[in-house]
Amino acid sequence: MPRIHFKTTDRYYEFPDGDEVNILRVSIRADCGLPWKCASGNCGTDRMVIEQGAENLDPPRRRERERLGDLLDQGYRLACQTYARGDVTVAWDPDQVGLDEESRAGQRLKAKWLGAADGD
Amino acid sequence: MAELMSPQELRVALEEAFSGTMAKDASFSRAWATGKLHKHHFVHWATNHYHYVGPFGDYLGLMYANTPDHARDAKDFLLQNMYEEELSDDRHTDLLIRFAEACGGTRQYVQDRRNATPFTKGLQGWMYHVSGTKSFVVSSAALIVGLESQVPSIYRTQYPTLINKYGFSEWEAEFFDLHITSDEIHGERGYQIVLKYADTPQLQQECIDIVREAADMRFAYTKALYEAYVEPDLGPWVEEEALAAASLAEPEKVLVG
Repeated sequence: MPRIHFKTTDRYYEFPDGDEVNILRVSIRADCGLPWKCASGNCGTDRMVIEQGAENLDPPRRRERERLGDLLDQGYRLACQTYARGDVTVAWDPDQVGLDEESRAGQRLKAKWLGAADGD
Repeated sequence: MAELMSPQELRVALEEAFSGTMAKDASFSRAWATGKLHKHHFVHWATNHYHYVGPFGDYLGLMYANTPDHARDAKDFLLQNMYEEELSDDRHTDLLIRFAEACGGTRQYVQDRRNATPFTKGLQGWMYHVSGTKSFVVSSAALIVGLESQVPSIYRTQYPTLINKYGFSEWEAEFFDLHITSDEIHGERGYQIVLKYADTPQLQQECIDIVREAADMRFAYTKALYEAYVEPDLGPWVEEEALAAASLAEPEKVLVG
């Protein structure tokens, strides 16, 4: 039986041969701990690095390609957008937040820095 | 007297409740998946689908109001689901209308309630009834498990056909691709809510019964689309495999829903 190894939480999910499973769905179902927020490939909270078994995943969809951009080339996928049909090992930063939240935080920081620069 | 099922047993019972009447097996879905439809059929499908799912935010809002404060995780899920339908990106009904326009339809035609079948209006009314009057556990079983969780199984077959057989672009068919993945997650969260909050044998049975009812409603709605719009063009639906088997065994044709 193929299995998905959620390395960060050291959890496994097995599924029948011939099935294709959505990685975020099975993570929620089996309490495997992948962080997530939306279910539409918008927030990027559920991004994960594919450490093994990338060949057992379906190709990235348009929404995922647009959301991840260069991160795709670095081995990232979005769990909500990804189906597995064989053994896969995935990992993530347990403290990660959505991609936009990071960029908004970055924007706030930048505004603060610029404000400080203006004040100097 | 019935005993309380474990979450695992209840999940199996819920899955079995709709396994025999899934909309992916209805005649309209089968004609779609096997490449038999024409673009004007899709305009009718999009129009009826609009009147089925268009008020989804309303249904979820009614369910939200019927969910007690102690079930905060369920309330948050409903709110998140509503947000994703309406605001997080393109409004989902706009994606549906985009598809209808790619098939030669217009926004005005799709939004005109008079262009939906009585079965579609019945399904819509049933969803208002369930979401407005039932416990949030039962309405989650009906709308999320019974209806929404079926979506990936339908569109995972139909979406590749739209691209490869019917020649739509990814942009034109985005409505389907989006729902393949988002309804996987919504469906799973629906199961989680039902498994957690259906905490009496009576409530569990009510959930199982309404999942079966939801599947019947969606199947009837889908079957009616074939009968109203496709059958006048193509005749009664006959499964090719069933027809081949029937022609070997006996002369009578095998017709399915």
